[in-house]
This record gives sequence, structure tokens and C-alpha cells, in this order.
Amino acid sequence: MKLSDIMGHANLSFYAEVAMVIFLIVFLTVAVRLFLPSRQQDLRDAARLPLDDEPTPAAAPRKD
Amino acid sequence: MSATVLPLTGVATSARLESFSYDDDVVRKFLWATFIWGLVGMLVGLIIALQLANPIFNTSLEWLSFGRLRPLHTNAVIFAFAGNAFFCGAYYSTQRLLKARMFSDFLSRFHFWGWQAIIVAAAVTLPLGFTQAKEYAELEWPIDIAIAVVWVAFGVNFVGTMIRRRERHLYVALWFYIASIVTVAILHIFNNLSIPAGLFKSYSIYAGVQDAFMQWWYGHNAVAFFLTTPFLGLMYYFMPKAADGPVFSYKLSILHFWSLVFLYIWAGPHHLHYTALPEWASTVGMLFSVMLWAPSWGGMINGLLTLRGAWHKVAEDPILKFFVVAITAYGMSTFEGPLLSIKSVNALAHYTDWIIAHVHTGALGWNGFLTFGMVYWLLPRLFQTPIYSKRLMEVHFWIASFGILLYVVAIYSAGVTQGLMWRAFDTTGRLAYPDFVETVVRLLPMYWLRVVGGSMYIVGMLLFGWNILMTWRRRPATYAVPVVTAPALAKRFVPAPEFAGGAQPVGLWARFASAAWHRTWERMPIMFTVLTVVAVVVASLFEILPTFLIKSNVPTIASVKPYTPLELAGRDMYIAEGCFNCHSQMVRPFRHETERFGEYSKPGESVYEHPFLWGSRRIGPDLARVGGKYPHLWHVRHFNEPTSITARSIMPAYPHFLTKTINFEQIQSRVDAMAMLGVPYGDAVNRAPEMARAQAADIAAEIERQGGPSDLRDKQIVAIVAYMQRLGMDIKNSPTTVGAAR
Repeated sequence: MKLSDIMGHANLSFYAEVAMVIFLIVFLTVAVRLFLPSRQQDLRDAARLPLDDEPTPAAAPRKD
Repeated sequence: MSATVLPLTGVATSARLESFSYDDDVVRKFLWATFIWGLVGMLVGLIIALQLANPIFNTSLEWLSFGRLRPLHTNAVIFAFAGNAFFCGAYYSTQRLLKARMFSDFLSRFHFWGWQAIIVAAAVTLPLGFTQAKEYAELEWPIDIAIAVVWVAFGVNFVGTMIRRRERHLYVALWFYIASIVTVAILHIFNNLSIPAGLFKSYSIYAGVQDAFMQWWYGHNAVAFFLTTPFLGLMYYFMPKAADGPVFSYKLSILHFWSLVFLYIWAGPHHLHYTALPEWASTVGMLFSVMLWAPSWGGMINGLLTLRGAWHKVAEDPILKFFVVAITAYGMSTFEGPLLSIKSVNALAHYTDWIIAHVHTGALGWNGFLTFGMVYWLLPRLFQTPIYSKRLMEVHFWIASFGILLYVVAIYSAGVTQGLMWRAFDTTGRLAYPDFVETVVRLLPMYWLRVVGGSMYIVGMLLFGWNILMTWRRRPATYAVPVVTAPALAKRFVPAPEFAGGAQPVGLWARFASAAWHRTWERMPIMFTVLTVVAVVVASLFEILPTFLIKSNVPTIASVKPYTPLELAGRDMYIAEGCFNCHSQMVRPFRHETERFGEYSKPGESVYEHPFLWGSRRIGPDLARVGGKYPHLWHVRHFNEPTSITARSIMPAYPHFLTKTINFEQIQSRVDAMAMLGVPYGDAVNRAPEMARAQAADIAAEIERQGGPSDLRDKQIVAIVAYMQRLGMDIKNSPTTVGAAR
């Protein structure tokens, strides 16, 4: 009996479903966390990182 | 060398201030390499475009024929042009985002020179016919090892810099870089596993369906993690720079990142719709590709809306123009990709020029224009002098934009035309265009239009180079190296004042919401890297392993036998000449295909195909059933001068097959390598040259009997004819076993 026969009869397809559920949970956690009020200031600060990373002359403040 | 101390604003105080400088020398090096290799890659593209428009451009030099140059073009523009552009932007932005010099100057230089050496090796070996026959993974095993070593050096340098960083938060661009670095390493290593049969020859350890699966898992993710995620990282850094405002939504960029990491890795099988791939795999590939629509467009919108309130600047700033077109091209090609992955659309588009048009929207528009915009933004900063000519930038923008338009419109219409002609039936139920060459000749005007469009893009590239050169010439005698100061990161996370002093959040939700745990996590970039790897590897295993481990996925066919030693030698010639760039060996189960080519291809037929040669484009007809279709002499004449058989053929001529001799002794090592991979070669492992000589003599005698030349028994033509005549014969020999296997 070859390995492929054993694997074929082992009915492992539910592994894929478990993995999908785990992936979904992880993704939803990431998504929910993004919208937590306590994180908004951090995210705003993070978004400015590329602009604050070197001394650029005359970077006028933006009006948003 | 002047040195000015410039403190960075916006960083937490109280910690010890450290002084350092950025390594821009390596960024300048990558910038030059980007331009030089970009020009080379595009010129090779122009040559092969001319060769398709008129075969005389194949010349009589065997190493400049289409089949050998096409992989050179794809490798040069992907790994040399886009690769160097990514490294250029990544080395610039990473150091600044992390407030740290690269971990090791030696590794940076090793990465630069190693990568350039690999490109030179590719430019030499591909025209010589050293190829693994897997798209975008053509380079032979010694070069593959070099790529792995250089890539690991880059990875170590990058992770080392992250560990020494002085900025707590890893900006989202860095996430895209990390995902690209680790995923490309995994893809490269697993797709290129092979058994060497000489210094520049190897056979993939996978065969047939499994090899096809591995290859397109790699191939699609080469697009995803070499041309998309690295450039998205660049977009998220350089777009805010150029627009002088933060990205539209940082939240959206995080969702964009995680969705791409979770989804992209599954999309590969859409390259194999209606082939001998199991249908479940093909459906999974399609579903995940369609899901990619959402994050891709989210990313595009995020990029474009970064210009909110700054749209008026686009009219006057060519850099923003380049970025806007680049992001729009990203949106268009990621709209089209999922569309093409839908099976019924793919049935029409697969094997046609539609795919070529699709990738050029992405490559010329997204990768090219993002690179141009980025380099123009970097020029005054890296060469510390104003840019030479803004007007030239404008001209470059317009000429390249029209070039893309001409190229893409012409090749779309070529693709749809050919796809429709292949499937057309007349009123009596016969193929409307039974002669394949009719469907080729119809495309030639479009191919000429492509030559014009591509040339315009290259003219733009020359203006780009001129602007770089002239700006560089105005550089100061010595570059100023500003000394930057930033506080070192504390070893442990110190909670913000409002949480300090006993006000720790109570309860599960409060702790989750306080995000304090996240501050601990984001101190662990290695953990982040490992999690990204887990996401990619788990997805890959679930998709790929079943074809290896579950028997029902590849039903065996008893009559399918290994190639004889001579046929194997012929197959190696087919690989070396790059025939697979124009000829598929995979008849799809459609009536118009079975009418034209014969019985559709089965997974069990390619169990000894190391590597698989299903192909991805039909510039010429499918060859899966060509065995026995024509007499030997037809093939001899056709290889010698294709137009003597098919007057309007655009195939290159191979007259040297009739004069060059077969290296019979070498065949033994090839057979041995195949046997090592489990191909049941039996007696041939002891006497391959002898068997090959005997079969060659038989074929040469038959050619002579048919009225052909008489001195061919040791000539290469005999080997390739043996291979051609074998294709598809196993299944014809034993129809009953085939029925049983299904």
C-alpha cells in the first residue's frame, strides 16, 4: 500500500475546513481591531511615518 | 565630506539619543542598475516583437531565435528591471522608516553585486539554451543556488535592520517588503528543486500535473510577490512623499495587506484551467482569484485617494502623473486578472495574446510607471542637485503612456481575434479556420502595431536615462552625508502614562481594546515574519499536497511509457530551443480543440514529464498529438525551413539541426538523472547511447527511404524527429486502457 492510498482513504478534508475557520478568525480579529477607538490615534501617527522620517525643508501643514 | 546633524521630529524623548547616517550609496547603485537592465530587457522585448511580426528577425544565429530570447526578455524585465527598482526603493525607504542604517554594508554590497552577477549569468546562459523550461524559473540550478544565497543575504540584512530599528511601529510598506522577501524565498526554493544531469542541465523533481501545479503556484506568486506586493510597499511609501500627505486610509492599507497575504497564494491554478489539472484545484484557484478583486481595488482606491486635496498638483507634477497612471494600471490589471481567472473567460483567453496584453498593462503601467515616478522623486535627493529637466519628464510621461496604449490595444485585439478564430465553426459544423497559420497571419498587423507602441515606450526609457545621466553629472563633488539622531528603543515596553500607575485595564475586552498587548507584539518583527510565513505555507500545503498524496487526482494509464534515450535527447533539444514558448502540449476538452488537434490530454499521460511542457501560449499549434501525424521527412524539411512547408509560417528555421551531431555519450547521464527521479528506465540505465544509436539509425534510414538526405544518423534532427513522432502516441496505442483509467 502506497502513501497516496493511505492519504486518499484518510478523509482529511476537514483539515482544510478547520484551517479556513482559523484564517477567517485571524482576519476578522485584524479587521475588528483596526476600528477600535483606542487605536485611532496610533494609526494616524503610523500613517505619518513616511512624512516624518527625514528632515524635509518647508513641509507645509496640510489642510484636510 | 560635510556633516550636518539633523534631529528627527516626532519621536519619544527620554531615551538616549543615537547618531547615525543612511547608506544612500547602495540606493544609487540600484538606481543605475534599474535603468540599465530596464533598457536591455525592453530592447530584447523589441527584438522578439519584431521576430513575431516577421521571422527574418530571428536571423541565422541560433542563440538569437525567439524561443531563446523570450525567456531573456521576461527574466530581464521582471528580475533585473523591476527587481533592482524594488531594491532601490526598499533600501531607501527601509532605512528611513526604521531610523537605522542597513544592518551590514557588506551584505548590502553583496546583495547588489551578487544580483547583478546573476543577471549577467542569465543573459549568457539563456541564449545558449540552458533552461529548466519553467516560466520565470528558466535559470539552471547553479544560478538558482546563487539566487537563493543572495536572497538570503538580502533577508538577513533586512531583518538585522529591523532588529536594530529606532522606530517602534513598522510602517505598512515594510510589511509588504517582509512578505515579499519571505514568500519569494519559499517559492523559489520549492519550484526549483531538481536533479542535476550536468553543470547546466537538470530535471525538475516533480512531473506532469504536479510540476505544472508547482510551477504555476510559483509563477502566479512571482507576479504577486515580486511585481505586486513589493511595489505596493513602494507605493505606500513614495506616494505620500510625492503627494506630501499621509496615505488616504492606513486602516485600508492594513486590510489590503492581510487580504493579499491570505488570498494571493491560492490563485496559481487559474493558469491551468481546462488542462489535466484536477477540477477542484482549478475551481479553488478561480474562487480565490475572484476574491482578490476586493483588496486590489481597495488598494488602488487607497493609492489614488492619497491625492485628496492635492489633485491640482497632478497637472503640474510629472511624478504624480506617473504615480496616478501606475496606480490606475494596477487597478486595471487587477480587475482583469480575476476576470481572466473565471473559467469561461479563460477558455477564450488562455493560450492567446490576451494574456500578453494583460501582463503588459501591469508591467509597463504599474511596475514601469511606479518605478519612473519613484526614480524621478529620488534623483534630486540622491544626487543632491535639482533634476536636469522637468520638461523631459513630461515628454517621457506622454510618449510612454501612448506607447502602452498602442501596445495593449493592439495585443488585446490580437488575443480576442485569435481566441475567436480557434473556436469558430462554419455552418456545416467544421472548423472555420482549420489551417492554424490562418489564425497567426491575421495577427501580424497587430504585431507591427505592438512594435510601434513598444518602441515609443523605449524612447521614453531613453529620455529617462538621459535625465538620470544629466542630473548625475551635476552632482556635488562629494555627497553630503547628513548625520541623523534618534533615540534608541527601550528594551521593554513602557506603558503610556494613562495606563501606568495601577490603571491597568480589567476584563478580557478591555485588555483587547487597550491594545497594550499589541505594543508587545509589534516589538517582535520576527514573530510577524514567522506568522506571514505560516499563512503562506499553510495555504500552499492545502492546495498542493493533495495532488501529490491523493491517488485519485492523477489516474494512471498503463500504456504510458518513458521516452526512449533518443526521444529524451530530442526532448532536451525542444527544451533548449524554448519550443514551449510558442507550442503548448495540452489539448483542452473542447470540441474545437479536439477537432483541431485530437483527443484531449489526460493527467496520466504526463507522469514521466520532468519538467512538464504544457506551455502557456500558442503562437504555433499544439503538439500534444503531433506524433504520427506527418512523415519523418516532413519534419526534416519543416525544421530546415518552415516556410517551405507552410508558406506564411513565422516559426524560426533550424537548419543547424541537420548539421550538428548528437552527443550520444551525454544521453547516459540524462537517462540516469531521470531514473533517479523514479522514471522506470529499465535496461536504458546501462546502455542508453547504444539504444539511442540504434533508434537514430532506424529513423535516418526511414528519412532516406522517404527521399530525404542520406547522412543523418548522427545528426540532431533525428533526435528531435524521434521526440516529435512520440508525442501523444502512447494513448493512441492503447485506447482500451485509457477508457479504463478514466
